[in-house]
Amino acid sequence: MSAIIVKNLRRDYETTIGIIKKEKKIVNAINDISFEVEKGEIFGLLGPNGAGKTSTIKILTTLLAPTSGEALVLGHKCFGEEKELRKKINFIFGGERSLYWRLSAYDNLSYFCDLYQVPEKIKKDRIINLLEMVELKDRAHYKVETFSKGMKQRLQIARGLVNDPEILFLDEPTIGLDPIGARTLRKIIKQLSSQGKTILLTTHYMQEADELCDRIAIIDKGKLFALNTSEKLKENIDSSVIEVDLHTLKEDTLSKLKSIMNVTRVVANSYDLGHKLVIDCRNPREIMGLVNQQLSDNMVKSIVMREATLEDVYFKIIGGDHCA
Amino acid sequence: MRNNIKVIIASCILQMKQSFSRSMFKFCIIAYPILAAITFYFIYMGETDENIISYVFLGTAITSMWSSISFSSAGDIDRERFMGALEVIFCAPTKFRIIMLGKVIGNTILGVCSMVVSFLVVTLLFKTKFTIEHPILFSISMLVGIVSFIFIAMLLSGLLAISRNTRVLMNCIDYPVFILCGAFFPIEVLPIWIRPLAYVLSPTYVLKLARMSIAGIDLYSNYNKHFGGLIIVTVIYIFGYLKFYNIIDIKARKEATLEVI
Repeated sequence: MSAIIVKNLRRDYETTIGIIKKEKKIVNAINDISFEVEKGEIFGLLGPNGAGKTSTIKILTTLLAPTSGEALVLGHKCFGEEKELRKKINFIFGGERSLYWRLSAYDNLSYFCDLYQVPEKIKKDRIINLLEMVELKDRAHYKVETFSKGMKQRLQIARGLVNDPEILFLDEPTIGLDPIGARTLRKIIKQLSSQGKTILLTTHYMQEADELCDRIAIIDKGKLFALNTSEKLKENIDSSVIEVDLHTLKEDTLSKLKSIMNVTRVVANSYDLGHKLVIDCRNPREIMGLVNQQLSDNMVKSIVMREATLEDVYFKIIGGDHCA
Repeated sequence: MRNNIKVIIASCILQMKQSFSRSMFKFCIIAYPILAAITFYFIYMGETDENIISYVFLGTAITSMWSSISFSSAGDIDRERFMGALEVIFCAPTKFRIIMLGKVIGNTILGVCSMVVSFLVVTLLFKTKFTIEHPILFSISMLVGIVSFIFIAMLLSGLLAISRNTRVLMNCIDYPVFILCGAFFPIEVLPIWIRPLAYVLSPTYVLKLARMSIAGIDLYSNYNKHFGGLIIVTVIYIFGYLKFYNIIDIKARKEATLEVI
């Protein structure tokens, strides 16, 4: 049985524009999305800002009402049957919020245990175990306002687990964390998954999604564009990548590269010290000579051939800057 | 039921810890009653002890308690929203109205402190003789008054959960309520057309009942009439609170008002 079923989900927001003459506008955040998440799965929702990821999570966590469509979590409707559902789920939004900064880590967890009606007998042990898991046991009685961002985010993870939820929703859990903090959080997420928890997460970090998620959905402007395992998504684009670093980039180079047979897409990004070209292609070994030839007028720093990554899949589906 | 009581107590303790760590709240419950009592003492200086107790002590005590309970409780919703905690408590299995009730009770307990501060200023600093003719009736009317304040605060908190603009309303009602309810002067000096507004607000009745209990009751029918009025408005507030929070649960999720935009 699926843990989450989303069918033709739609969410519109009503907003007003203008100061004197106000006009009502409808903003469509989710537009006819459907997907299912299996029990025990880590499911990733990828997409740019404003794609509808957070709105989807908010509907699934009973925070928002859907405009139309169906959202079932553990067999309960997210809008209308939230009483039964809320005990079984929990959520963590990225950043440092959703905690009482003027209270200690222990007091925060104790309060949320009470809100989730955790029996007194197991409350104390659970808090200690959670603090141990997120490596905050020695700071249990310090005020949250004295914590670093990473510590606050780890405490949020502990908060999200006070009710031992069957499903955990994570909205950009590693946002703003340093690499070590992000790695610690990923380790915790893997640990939770190994305990059989279903996890739905959104992230902007492709490597993170690749490392953690069993399946990935890519959404943009409220629509679902792709849904599969990371491997299948990479296979489906049937493409490899040639990455070129350049000191200079002549105007006609992009069109020349694009004209090479088996080149499916060329993306150029400029930065302070030069330019980077990402050339999506089939059979990169066969066309390497031609690519080199077309780049001969430019000052090439390095050229690398590699298999497509999830980021390439993402760029291919969502689109990137300067696509030729 | 047991779980709800546990949540009310936990929310109440959390609220007191949170509120007391805010300087503004400390000002409201400690500094404001002292400053207001001093100001109004000089206005009423030379009057009888009875008038000083009625208008300086009661006026200061009720207004600071009103600010602490209603104003701060309503503001807490905004603070929770900005901390990102509003969404978390809204989605907990415990009903939102139970959590909010605990928080408002927390503010109420601290609000009672301001009453004590006013009492100490008037009796110790200004050496005013404090006698209550009917201590039991005084205690009952204060108790019902506090319950009434709690449910007004709940209504205001609810309004803030579904509308971000209610903060304006909240700021607008603080001082007008002091005037309308006759905190520092009898409401009989107000124009007749505005008086009906005073009678939908429970502080009006609380002040009248407390003054009667302190000074002595000439006409019990008059006391009963005001006590009945207080009971009726309190029941309306409680009924409104129960109905309103069911509406909030749906409206806040339909209109996405729980987050900061």
